[in-house]
Amino acid sequence: MSALPNAITDLISALNRLPGVGPRSAERIALHLVQTDSTAVKQLADAILLARERIQFCATCGALTEESPCPICADSRRDGSLLCLVERAVDILSIERSGTFRGKFHVLGGKISPLDGIEPEDLRIAELEKRLTQEPVKEVIIALSTDVEGDATSAYLAKRLARRGLKISRIAYGLPAGSGLEYADELTLSRALEGRREMNQ
Amino acid sequence: MHLAHLRLRDFRNYPRLDVDFAPGFHLLLGDNAQGKTNILEAIYLMATLRSFRGVGGAQMIRHGQKGYFAGGKVVGQGEHEIKMYWSARERNLSLDGRPVKKLTDYLGTLRTVVFCTEDLQLVKGTGRVRRRFLDLLLSQTRPGYLPLLQRYMQAVRSRNALLRQRAPDPALLDSFSEQLIKLGNELIQARRELIPKLSPLARLAYRRISHDAEELRMEYQPTVKSDFTVELAQSRAREQSYRLTLVGPHRDDLLLLLNEKSAAQFGSEGQKRTLAIALKMAQAEYLTGIHGSAPVLLIDDVMGELDAKRRAGFLPLLERTRETSGQVFMTATEANWPRELGRELQRWEVNAGTLQHARVSVSGGRP
Ligand SMILES: Nc1ncnc2c1ncn2[C@@H]1O[C@H](COP(=O)(O)OP(=O)(O)OP(=O)(O)O)[C@@H](O)[C@H]1O
Ligand SMILES: [Mg+2]
Ligand SMILES: [Zn+2]
Repeated sequence: MSALPNAITDLISALNRLPGVGPRSAERIALHLVQTDSTAVKQLADAILLARERIQFCATCGALTEESPCPICADSRRDGSLLCLVERAVDILSIERSGTFRGKFHVLGGKISPLDGIEPEDLRIAELEKRLTQEPVKEVIIALSTDVEGDATSAYLAKRLARRGLKISRIAYGLPAGSGLEYADELTLSRALEGRREMNQ
Repeated sequence: MHLAHLRLRDFRNYPRLDVDFAPGFHLLLGDNAQGKTNILEAIYLMATLRSFRGVGGAQMIRHGQKGYFAGGKVVGQGEHEIKMYWSARERNLSLDGRPVKKLTDYLGTLRTVVFCTEDLQLVKGTGRVRRRFLDLLLSQTRPGYLPLLQRYMQAVRSRNALLRQRAPDPALLDSFSEQLIKLGNELIQARRELIPKLSPLARLAYRRISHDAEELRMEYQPTVKSDFTVELAQSRAREQSYRLTLVGPHRDDLLLLLNEKSAAQFGSEGQKRTLAIALKMAQAEYLTGIHGSAPVLLIDDVMGELDAKRRAGFLPLLERTRETSGQVFMTATEANWPRELGRELQRWEVNAGTLQHARVSVSGGRP
């Protein structure tokens, strides 16, 4: 039925699998690419490959980085007593952009979700516990999304991580309910960080 | 508030319809299977994004077509333009030309109360039907109730998924229990506050329609009697065998009593029908009280089932609608339309998916 050559429909379906690219945009991008000067297209393809090859997860915090440990973990001027716990690596970018947080990060890799079969063992909790024994962390700030799973995961972690001399707090203030950090703008984020609420007891 | 314009494309048996409606009382007259109820269904759909027939979107697409469009203009405090398009591949909803991102921003644009024969399930059916009745009313009147309910149900589903595991992690179960209790207590509180306000309205409506001696009383019956935390813990053993969360507002009920006896168990058919209508009237009156304007009333078939004496019970509600420049849509067939109600009504003839203004004002008797 389709009048398009196979090479183009294949490209469209590959693009369509990308986040935020619907069938229409996929088609538009594909048609643009096949009509673009081939050196420019090659540059794009090389950039994609190179980025994919260079980027890895930081072995310590789980951030996206070119070298492990990542620049944040390696930065001695950052406050190692503050550890901000986020769901996904991209959440670090949101918080960094707000420019108010001077501590370090830990990526959990998701949240506990019985309906999706995600259990504590599927998250980077053991890595976090190890860091708590090795690093001079005094406060863990839980910055998970504020939906039911995010709230339950935070409650679970608050209990599981509890130990002498460690403060555990949660930011939820001002974050739109049910949304991840991705949707929070910089102002609400920095306000949230100031207004964090202690979870112990 | 009133629906000033209705536009349908490929909705049920309507290929295309564009019609203006004034405030007031509209009688949709026609033989069986002409499309009277379909009009009410479309209006209700715009208000709630659901069909009151309890079906999904696909069934409302005109046979052989790809998708339906339903839209229109609502005049209340200001004017709003609703557009919705539904097909298997595409769902669009826009309000005043902007796509709707959050349900809560949209619901309330058009408020309706529907009276239909299925309302009998409010009395005869399971607790689920009555919970839905309460939830719908609270969603329409209490900001934050709908998202709260959605969160609570998510907590119930998550917790049930945990209970279905072979050996649920107790610490994890506790974390979800905390959510369940916190959200559940807010729901219980909201329902507890609603019933004493709703009950007198329903009692009055019942009395008005039935002219009977029996007294209606509504009683909220929460599964949590006093302390959710304690009662949830007490249910743990039973939970383990059922692998389900057994206490909480998702299991609540609303008792309907006539002279202190269960209407479902001891009421006659006529009493049950009257009671169902009284509940819907109470809903309409309550909405009117809260929002200061009457919801659009959609009355499907129920009039034909009532004798003239019982129908007269509707008059105060219709009167109120007129006073607040609200709107009523009522379906009937030529044989059974309630002539005594029609003082300033607008008659429409519904015929095989078309609507025609029959520009006569009728005050009784056959034209
Ligand atoms: N998806 C659809 N596509 C086309 N026609 C449909 C669709 N769904 C229902 N119909 C038609 O709509 C008509 C029924 O409309 P409706 O239920 O509004 O009737 P009514 O006028 O209320 O009748 P009654 O007096 O019996 O209640 C029937 O002719 C039915 O075949
Ligand atoms: Mg009908
Ligand atoms: Zn790192």
